[in-house]
Amino acid sequence: MTRSTTTRRSALKTLAIGGAAAALPHWATTATAQDAGPIKIGFQKHATGIGASYGRWYDQTSTAAVAAINASGGINGRQVEMITEDDATDPARGAEVVEKFATQHMCDVAFGTLFSHVVIGSAPRAGELKLPYFVVSEGHHVASGMLNRYTLQPGITDVKSQVASMAPFIAANLGKKVTMIFPDFAFGHDHRDYFSAAFTAAGGTIAALIAIPPTETSFTKYFPQIPADTEVLYHVMVGPAVLTFVRELGEFFGDARPAIFGFIDSLEAVDLSSPGLEFLEGTYFWEGNPRYAQPDQTTFDKNFRAAVGVDDNGASVTDPADVSTYAHMFGCWETLYFIKQAMEACDYQGPADRAKLIEACEAITDIPASNEHPQGAKRFNGKTHQVFGPQYISKVTGGRLEVVHVTSIEDTLYPDDTDYTTQAL
Amino acid sequence: MGKGRAWLTLLALACPSAAFAHASEQSFVLLLPAGAYIAGGLATVILTVIVIARLPTAVALRLFRPVSIGTSRRLPGKTSTSLLSLGLLAGLVWVGLTGSHDPTRNPLVVAIWTVFWVIIVLAHGFFGNLWAWVNPWTGVLHLLRQAGVRPVARLASTVGHWPALISLMGFAGLLLIHPKANDPDTLAQAVIIYWTLHFCGGLVLGPRWLRRGEAFGVILAAYANLAPFGLQHGRRKIGLPGWQWLAQPIPPLSVAVMLVALLSLGSFEGLYETFFWFKLLGLNPLEFAGRSSVVWQNGAGLIAALPLLITVYSACLWAGVRLAQTGTPLVLAFRAFAPALLPIAFGYHLAHYLPSLLVDGQSIPIVLTDPWGTGADLWGYGHPHVSTGFFNRLDTVRLIWLAQAGAVVAGHVIAILMSHAIALRLLGGQRRAALSQLPMAGFMIGYTLFGLWLLTSPQA
Repeated sequence: MTRSTTTRRSALKTLAIGGAAAALPHWATTATAQDAGPIKIGFQKHATGIGASYGRWYDQTSTAAVAAINASGGINGRQVEMITEDDATDPARGAEVVEKFATQHMCDVAFGTLFSHVVIGSAPRAGELKLPYFVVSEGHHVASGMLNRYTLQPGITDVKSQVASMAPFIAANLGKKVTMIFPDFAFGHDHRDYFSAAFTAAGGTIAALIAIPPTETSFTKYFPQIPADTEVLYHVMVGPAVLTFVRELGEFFGDARPAIFGFIDSLEAVDLSSPGLEFLEGTYFWEGNPRYAQPDQTTFDKNFRAAVGVDDNGASVTDPADVSTYAHMFGCWETLYFIKQAMEACDYQGPADRAKLIEACEAITDIPASNEHPQGAKRFNGKTHQVFGPQYISKVTGGRLEVVHVTSIEDTLYPDDTDYTTQAL
Repeated sequence: MGKGRAWLTLLALACPSAAFAHASEQSFVLLLPAGAYIAGGLATVILTVIVIARLPTAVALRLFRPVSIGTSRRLPGKTSTSLLSLGLLAGLVWVGLTGSHDPTRNPLVVAIWTVFWVIIVLAHGFFGNLWAWVNPWTGVLHLLRQAGVRPVARLASTVGHWPALISLMGFAGLLLIHPKANDPDTLAQAVIIYWTLHFCGGLVLGPRWLRRGEAFGVILAAYANLAPFGLQHGRRKIGLPGWQWLAQPIPPLSVAVMLVALLSLGSFEGLYETFFWFKLLGLNPLEFAGRSSVVWQNGAGLIAALPLLITVYSACLWAGVRLAQTGTPLVLAFRAFAPALLPIAFGYHLAHYLPSLLVDGQSIPIVLTDPWGTGADLWGYGHPHVSTGFFNRLDTVRLIWLAQAGAVVAGHVIAILMSHAIALRLLGGQRRAALSQLPMAGFMIGYTLFGLWLLTSPQA
């Protein structure tokens, strides 16, 4: 079916250009995608659809990383060409895009997908086509074993390790009785399940689990369900009503509130000085990468911000109101450098070396913090194809997020759920 | 089966072009005192209904009497500009097929969904019929006629404008339903198919086809007739939007249905990405699996919207005619009053696309300076980045929202005035006109509420 679509498109292209199809740049590059040309990396971008705002920053970060890699000599002496396709944050489109990367653009690898449902929709096709597929999704779907040997997540940690590693800090510093408020679908359920298990193991108890329907836009009626002896409120609300949620939470509790812990996913790209968010002063957030430059900022972070065009407040250098997706976008930068490291380790020459590339990836273990890995040191698990790294806990102080705790990599580890190396290449 | 992943508070806009990047506008919109704003909008519309009903006939009709601002000069060169337009379109298709596959960086995608469907369409409502100059078929067909190529058949009058309605629904299918409406290849193919189809129509059936079979010729002319500027009896005139419609004969049924179709299209466009619609479909908007997962549902909604609106509007007209006791046939009333829906459709268009215009409009210099997405900077713009920072501040979000609401309310106010003037002419007498407009007033107030509600509804 896909083959016939391509043929039809080709016919129309020919019609459009009066028979001069051979001159089409796409096709010209397709025909020469062999050893001598650039390394082609297919960027599966959420250019449209519900992931578009992440897609914009993922694009900006990836473009900056490719420019930096090329400026320092490329990969194995070859320049890197990033070929972007929009998946419209649509799993069906995602699978098509992966196929285009492999069969039309003759990309060496594909990377960049964020939304889990798109990863899950695309990865099987990558596996069938034996196209190394590097995702930047945070989902546990890679490490859970549900995907395949050609899918890896080497640039960003997964939600299971993120959530679980928060539990010891919360139990030790904020309180032992937690009430969780979460959206009632898979994203919220992951938090519910991973945190409940980790928090109980850390000696705490879950006082209540309050699931909010995803289409809810007013929350006051749910707050009376919060037990009075709650010591910590854990929230992961997402969606357009998140500012309303915070405002109503403030109206409900006033000054007499429990400790509050949230995931920055709720407020990614939202200015913390936005109206209604004053209530969050003094509350805690998980951050994948600190949005605000810290007093002990590394030169790696400083260089990364400069390269991707983000200021010390995590906003665009050209528009201070345009707040970036700073907690996640470093994953694109680090993934591209991971690909470079693996390609250089196996002296990657072209698509025939894809299996060798996967093995080279699987052989990578500890990665020091560097300009290539500005979020911090990493440990890649070749069996589960998942990277592990530090997590940041920040406190809202004066309208900024100030880091108060950084987990060790060991805090984030959990037993392997799978071993992809047992699958055939 | 973990699906943990990040999620922004921001949501993409409904139109295919827009979704490029849309900041947390929705979060801030939900913080606005929307109830008070909506009440203000409704009060304006209700006040208009009351005032116009009490105005003497002569005064009410004088509202739509234009004033002359000079003699018109025939501007030559439509053939040349049409050929230029065709050349530009061909160039865009070429770049569409050969340029970046990122829709935010592809000139064809930006040209069709932002420059044409937003800017040019809106420009018609303000400045008049630009399409007469940029129509990409008329020039080449004119040259062919001069070369002796003659139509082989004549489009029968009985066909009316129904083929244009089919064209419009086809376009709407691409705009609202097609999972790959933003894909440059898909869009290029669609443009080629649409252009070829109507070129063949014009070739075989003559230029009349372009006025009756091709959707944009009909809808852009319709919007152009809303413009304050127009020509009448060889003079350039300016008047209240809608005066040109009132100066024309009652449109045929097929045109009237097209006008209603524009409103149904705009209404469904506003509705189909609201949480309300997702709830209706039993889907979670926070993990929306994209357009390919709702093709049939949205297709059914789009198709059903037109007969639904025709039914509701006809019922209001029927009740109005009965109240006025004029015995006017319903079909005649439908044809006569349908142009009064056009300002609402235009207001919806403006309101719906304003935020996306603010975002996607920033892509215009980007694709101009780097048409193939190769990193070039032909015009020295310095690779600007698209910013959505204005969606991140309450004051700018409020301003944008009020502009959108203003467009919706203004559209309804013009519609009420037009509808009353049409009633005066068709039914005669202030009392009969006022009586006939009672059900219509309910319709207008209801539609204002619907439009403002759409603006405040959370969207996926």
